[in-house]
Amino acid sequence: MAYLSLSNVTKQFGDAVVVDNFTLDIEKGEFVSFLGPSGCGKTTTLRMVAGFELPTSGRITLGGADITDKAPNQRNVGMIFQAYALFPNMTVAQNIGFGLRLRKMMRDEVNDRVNEMIGLINLEKHANKYPYQLSGGQQQRVSLARALAIRPEVLLLDEPLSALDAKIRVSLRAEIRAIQRRLGITAIFVTHDQEEALSISDRIVVMNVGEMEQVGTPFEIYNFPKTQFVANFVGSLNNSDAEVIDPANGILAMDGVHFKTAEQGFANRRQGDKVKISVRPERFSFAAEPMKENVVDCTIENITFLGSVVRIQISIGNTKFNMDTFNNPFLELPAIGAKEKVMCSKEAVLVL
Amino acid sequence: MSERRFSIWSWVWFLLGAVYFLVPLYATLRHSLRMERDVIGFKAYVRAFEDQDFWETFLLSNTLAVATIVASVILIVPTAYWIRLRLPQARRITEFITLLPFVIPAIILVFGLIRTYSVPIGIPFTAIELLQPLTTSKLGTYALITAGYMVLAMPYMYRSVDTGMRTVDIRTLTEAAQSLGAGWFTIVTQVILPNIRSALLSGALLTFAIVVGEVTLASFLGVDAFGPYLFLIGQHRAYEPAALSFVTFLLTWLAMGLIQLATGGQGQTAGAH
Repeated sequence: MAYLSLSNVTKQFGDAVVVDNFTLDIEKGEFVSFLGPSGCGKTTTLRMVAGFELPTSGRITLGGADITDKAPNQRNVGMIFQAYALFPNMTVAQNIGFGLRLRKMMRDEVNDRVNEMIGLINLEKHANKYPYQLSGGQQQRVSLARALAIRPEVLLLDEPLSALDAKIRVSLRAEIRAIQRRLGITAIFVTHDQEEALSISDRIVVMNVGEMEQVGTPFEIYNFPKTQFVANFVGSLNNSDAEVIDPANGILAMDGVHFKTAEQGFANRRQGDKVKISVRPERFSFAAEPMKENVVDCTIENITFLGSVVRIQISIGNTKFNMDTFNNPFLELPAIGAKEKVMCSKEAVLVL
Repeated sequence: MSERRFSIWSWVWFLLGAVYFLVPLYATLRHSLRMERDVIGFKAYVRAFEDQDFWETFLLSNTLAVATIVASVILIVPTAYWIRLRLPQARRITEFITLLPFVIPAIILVFGLIRTYSVPIGIPFTAIELLQPLTTSKLGTYALITAGYMVLAMPYMYRSVDTGMRTVDIRTLTEAAQSLGAGWFTIVTQVILPNIRSALLSGALLTFAIVVGEVTLASFLGVDAFGPYLFLIGQHRAYEPAALSFVTFLLTWLAMGLIQLATGGQGQTAGAH
């Protein structure tokens, strides 16, 4: 039986269905991210686990016990907020010890746990500072320590990195993941940032308009998106209309240019069917060596330098695609307007 | 250049404002020191402080002020908190109610109180009495006047508390406290109240000033408070009222200074989250 289980959870505000029939099992020690655009229901789902919202229907169980109707202060669930939510009138140590004092722990025990947590987040020198004396990153680390101090059964993180600048965000997410692994705590992380979700999670739940689009490991979500929405939302994607030419052999045509796909179930389609194909920009490369399939002529339209990656806009027939290639100092880039040959494997051509 | 001109004008307006407030105060002080002909002295102050009635009424008004402040905090803090947290649609109604003391004069309020609470309060159409007339006992009258003062101070107290709550992220702090295991009482007393401390002190100071100087409610309810006492000696004596007015000014400044002392060092914490 799963450690944390959401069964057919639905949340309605008036007539609006914000979360629709959400079912998910999370194992102990797992780090699961809810990923999706604003308004997709990811935060509402998290808040239902925390107890701040009651599901309209469905049940939530934690460690085998039904917590659906339990008050938030009786769930033993740690929560980290985007706005840090540190108590401004308390020092770092007092903030971390707040939940422990409520549990009527002995003073020495509280002090020991607070010191342990302060050590965990490397803020030993700031124990007696007030939140306004700390940077955003430091405040969020205190918030993490405060949530972990009570030894929660689940750690809930509601876009905890969104208010931080890019560099702090990257280092703090690594820190959060390392601490979560070290403590073996079950965590749910809400984000709209796909890079964040891909880098930190054991599994990702991609959500759209209140529904689950796909659940899988970051590798599965990125490489084998099951829906057009997931493919578009996670990573960059080239999309185009195409027509099925030879279903048995996986051949389709886009603007008269033939492509081969390895998509499962393609053989079941009928000749002449209109489909949408998607190819990730990094799956294209210049055809340096002869390949049997998916070598096509293109025109170089534009070249954009993005640091570690160079994005080349190409046109195949009348359709413009992006192609990404890793930067290196000896990279020889084609001229704009040049005619080139590009290729991609049949596995790269997704039919969604 | 424009910055310099701005600076000069700022000082001009500041000095004009200061003169507007300080000249009457200086006149009061000067008048209070001239009780004896051609001598500047503190005789008016000595006379005023020698009067036993002064100390009794002053002590009573201070006690009533503290009671009013405590009762107002107990009533208004949870109300403003709940409206911010769960009932934002009730804000307009609450604001309207808190503004009523500006529209309904104290004389109407006191007659309403007397009319309602000078008879036993019981269940209609039965002989069951729930409450004896409040105006017939001293304690009952004090309770009644405290309730009246709460109404008079409500616009100031509610606004101070509400403004204080606006500066902190009430909802997130509440949820953070809840997730750590806190119940409502803990949240209000340990998280909300300390973070609106300066707003609370401002409201308390205004309430204090209203209660100590209030005349109408105390006169009609027959409470020997400081307001009616000041009014009475103002009609019969020349110098002592000026001395007492000046002392009241000093007490107000002292209270403001204490507020600064109490909140100055922590001023930024309320907004930080």
